[in-house]
Amino acid sequence: MLARRIGAPALFVAPLVLVMVVGFVWPLVGVLVNSLHPNTPQGIDAGHWTVGNYARLADPFYGEILLRTLRISVAVTAITGMLAYPVALFASRLSARAQSLFLLAYISPWLINTVVKALGWTLLLRTNGMVNTLLRGLDVIAAPLKLMLNETGVIIALIPGHFMFVLLPLWVALSGLDPALSWAAGTLGARPSAVFWRVVFPITLPAFVAGLVINFIMNMTVFAIPVFLGGARNMVASMLAYQINLVQLDWPLGGALAVALLAFTLTLVWAGQRGAALLAAGKGLQP
Amino acid sequence: MILAVNVIMLIVVLAPVVVVIWMSFTPSATFILPVTDFSLRWYREAFSYPGFVDAFGLSFELAALAAVITVALSFLAAYGLVRYRPAGGEALKAFFTAPLLVSAVVFGIAMLQFVNRLGLYNQLGGLVLAHVVLVVPFAIRSLEVTLRAVPEELEWAAMILGRSRVGTLLRVTLPLCARGLITAFLFCFLLSFSEVTTTIFMTGPGLQTLPVRIYNYMSDRIDPTVAAVSALVVMVSLALVAALNLLGGLRRLTSQ
Repeated sequence: MLARRIGAPALFVAPLVLVMVVGFVWPLVGVLVNSLHPNTPQGIDAGHWTVGNYARLADPFYGEILLRTLRISVAVTAITGMLAYPVALFASRLSARAQSLFLLAYISPWLINTVVKALGWTLLLRTNGMVNTLLRGLDVIAAPLKLMLNETGVIIALIPGHFMFVLLPLWVALSGLDPALSWAAGTLGARPSAVFWRVVFPITLPAFVAGLVINFIMNMTVFAIPVFLGGARNMVASMLAYQINLVQLDWPLGGALAVALLAFTLTLVWAGQRGAALLAAGKGLQP
Repeated sequence: MILAVNVIMLIVVLAPVVVVIWMSFTPSATFILPVTDFSLRWYREAFSYPGFVDAFGLSFELAALAAVITVALSFLAAYGLVRYRPAGGEALKAFFTAPLLVSAVVFGIAMLQFVNRLGLYNQLGGLVLAHVVLVVPFAIRSLEVTLRAVPEELEWAAMILGRSRVGTLLRVTLPLCARGLITAFLFCFLLSFSEVTTTIFMTGPGLQTLPVRIYNYMSDRIDPTVAAVSALVVMVSLALVAALNLLGGLRRLTSQ
């Protein structure tokens, strides 16, 4: 058939490939190249090559910022993991109609831009904000709690921010679970807790791990929430990237930071996928 | 126990959005609690602030352009991948969804340096390109599902009856995919309309989308005017989510 001629699929795919090469591959290659040139007061010195920009990232000042970013991300991902499982379990047991309402309640705030949510959290958490006013009105606390402009504020606001990345894959995995599995385990004498820990949890573990890895990566590079909830004294990696690229205009260093962040996150994705595959293989199950 | 976790989590997820809407109706100039009266004063204020009105226009234009281009290109690509099953199709699909693996900050830095090199800094074209790349992964996935649901036999029938491949695509496949195309368009529009991080890295004072304008305003001060603008953004986004829900586009996210 004429349409099956070699080259026809290429015609359909080519426009998007072109846009992706120009708008995605080229900028990323460009940032890598920039990171390997020295910075001068006149701009990027394209005539010389160096890895010095990466060495500059080892500065203790930057180290402290990256450590704080890691600390916040680990905390958020850990708490998210503990909360997302019960929520997904609850969601997967609802009727189809209740499930779509439940999904709507979680997905709507997720799709609203983060600056608006940062405003909401600021109004809730600041000294004279809603949470403090409510707690004082109920006589729970005497003096207002410091809930923002510290790491606590960032962690509180980030948990719902990236919750969906763990909830959705887990929900799908739990909904797709054959009820006969739990039933079979039950008839063979397993108690409900054993059915969960020995049957349900292992099967959903790959999806759970995959979601947690994405959640962690999102936390590592989130921007607007730490700016408003953490403030300038609690700088994280994304704020540092903004500072270097748009205030100091040191693009080779900014490029090195971008490449380092990308390499770190891609390694994590790879490790997460390997881990999930091993977990699945270890249990003799398909992921 | 499980119920308690669910109630708390639902409150935590919805609270920041609800509080913005609630506070936007305050009659006073500061956020005095509790807000019991109702006033549209700050909405009038927001509409008379040219910075927000211009930024809304820009965001709308950008989202519409990015969504149209993305859906058109992704539909063609998905058609090529689904109907011809070319060798390397899986690799191409991985390439199209690769932007999901690159964080918005990293992509923002790359785009900042890229648009400056090309003289596209502060230009709408640069922003459109960036937003297209960011939403392509979502469009390609959803349009692939859409195309798989269209029976290939219908296209064969049209071609046996004498339509050309292109004629069949336009007169048979495209109408059958209308619902999927509209869903993909709305979803891309919504994602572009909400995009903050990459855009902040790419834009200067002359070209600010609505989220970036709100960000800059909030860096200066937080008052009921910005709450009113934010509440409007929430309403636009919620309207789009509602439309997506009616079209069945949201369920697709959980059934993949």
